[in-house]
Amino acid sequence: MLALRIFSWLVVVFMLLPIAISLPVALTDSRRIAFPPEGLSLRWFEAILGDAVLLDTVMRSFLLASLAGVAAVLLALPCAFAIERNRFRGRIAIETLITGPRMIPQIVLVLGLLIWFERIGLAETFLGLVLAHLVVSVPFAFRTLMVSVAALDRRLESASAILGAGPARTFFKVTLPQLKTGVIAATIFTFILSFNNVTLALFLSALGQRTLPVEMFQRMYVGGMTPVIPAIAFLLALGGALFFVLLDRTVGVYKYLAGRD
Amino acid sequence: MTRLVLSALGSGTREGGVLRWLLPLLPVLVLLLIFFLLPLGELLRMSLLATRPMPRTPDPDVTLANYVAVFADPLHAEMAVNSLLVGLATVIFTLLIAYPVAIYLTRCGSWERTFISVACLLPIFVNLIVGILGWYILLLPFGVLQQALQWAGLIDGPLRLLRSFPALVLVLTYEHLPFAVLILASAVQNVPQDRINAARLLGASNLRIFRTVMLPLTMPGIVASAILVFSLSVSSYLIPILIGAQRVPVIPMAIFSYGTEQMNWPMGAALAFVLLVSVALITYGFTVLAGRLTRRGQWEVT
Repeated sequence: MLALRIFSWLVVVFMLLPIAISLPVALTDSRRIAFPPEGLSLRWFEAILGDAVLLDTVMRSFLLASLAGVAAVLLALPCAFAIERNRFRGRIAIETLITGPRMIPQIVLVLGLLIWFERIGLAETFLGLVLAHLVVSVPFAFRTLMVSVAALDRRLESASAILGAGPARTFFKVTLPQLKTGVIAATIFTFILSFNNVTLALFLSALGQRTLPVEMFQRMYVGGMTPVIPAIAFLLALGGALFFVLLDRTVGVYKYLAGRD
Repeated sequence: MTRLVLSALGSGTREGGVLRWLLPLLPVLVLLLIFFLLPLGELLRMSLLATRPMPRTPDPDVTLANYVAVFADPLHAEMAVNSLLVGLATVIFTLLIAYPVAIYLTRCGSWERTFISVACLLPIFVNLIVGILGWYILLLPFGVLQQALQWAGLIDGPLRLLRSFPALVLVLTYEHLPFAVLILASAVQNVPQDRINAARLLGASNLRIFRTVMLPLTMPGIVASAILVFSLSVSSYLIPILIGAQRVPVIPMAIFSYGTEQMNWPMGAALAFVLLVSVALITYGFTVLAGRLTRRGQWEVT
């Protein structure tokens, strides 16, 4: 038991180390990425605000993830009901199709989309980027929402119907309030998923239309990376961790994430 | 009476017919048709095109030449071997790390459980690039790890940590550990405690309990996480290009290069399909193999 405990805490250190290391590196006063930092200053955090290209990509990532997250949940919610509440032939096949985009390697899907977009005229457009993110977000939103839809108390709906409420009224007054937490959780999860996705935007976004992760990737890959990248990386890590703890405290993370079986 | 009301509500299947379930599914089905199935079809078509037509040129003849070329190129063979080895090594390390953590998570107090699971799931919520950047800084020549190892007297002189096979497996393990922990934690939690108690009462040692009770009963979770981690690892592009780079070339690097740098879409498409089919076959084979192992294990238990 003690051995297990020590091992688990070593794993915790292993998991936190690469995320934590960006802070001291970002606090340096020089232009070099180095550890230990050469003099302490906040200049690279201030540099984020002066970096117009970087700020532009931040805005684009937020917009992209919001659109994909909200649209995916709106599209996936009716699907979750249709699949959960009906027994029809081909139901398993449709369920497999809906989860399909997450089953195949993303690099295969994105190459297909790249070629397809060129053909139908969506190449290097923001709309194409949103649609690509939507395709991989819908399966995730669907799986997450299935957890909530399956957990609904159907007796409340029949009670509402017996008391004379129509289907629409029952849905908005009885069913939807029960789903509120699940829908919010699904939206936030899907948002984070889209925000963090790199592969899709790396293939599909035009020059000067990059998302934040792709911009970070390019600066790391091509070189000439200043400590402004560790600085924004640390802010992203902080944001992700805060999101996580907040979600875990309010709706519970395990319940939804474990749905992906 | 209740049943009558429920069926009148249409919770059965007959009422409303096909439209009842088709209508809510329709938008997603259209989306997936246009932006999932058709792109894959286009990818397949492209992989069968003769040379390297630039976009929008009319189709030349259908040919298998690209697939022949994919298998004939020794660089691709090297990449395939690398991908396979990287995938297998990542699966093994991920399972070896995640399984003990999963066991500990079911036995520790609630405060510890929250903290450990938050730490282990963090890479899902934090951008992939942030994790890669962290490891990049840690592994840099004269970077943090090297200084630490030198200080501890474990190594002498500079060490090539960054562009290496172990580094690639390390970062892939880091990024994919959360999925294994998630799946294994729920698998371990579902092992009935009375089985373990029964085995212990009958005098089984810890090792024997692990081998004859825990392992067979959590096998579905082990298989599921192994498959997920394997398929994520062999299709990962960003970690190989930033950590292993040209020293450990893998298949996705070639797909990216054909797709965006060389604009040789037919070759890229052929390679992508080879990757897709290989992953599917390996996954399927592994499922079958594990199914046999599990059946034997359960038979041993009962």
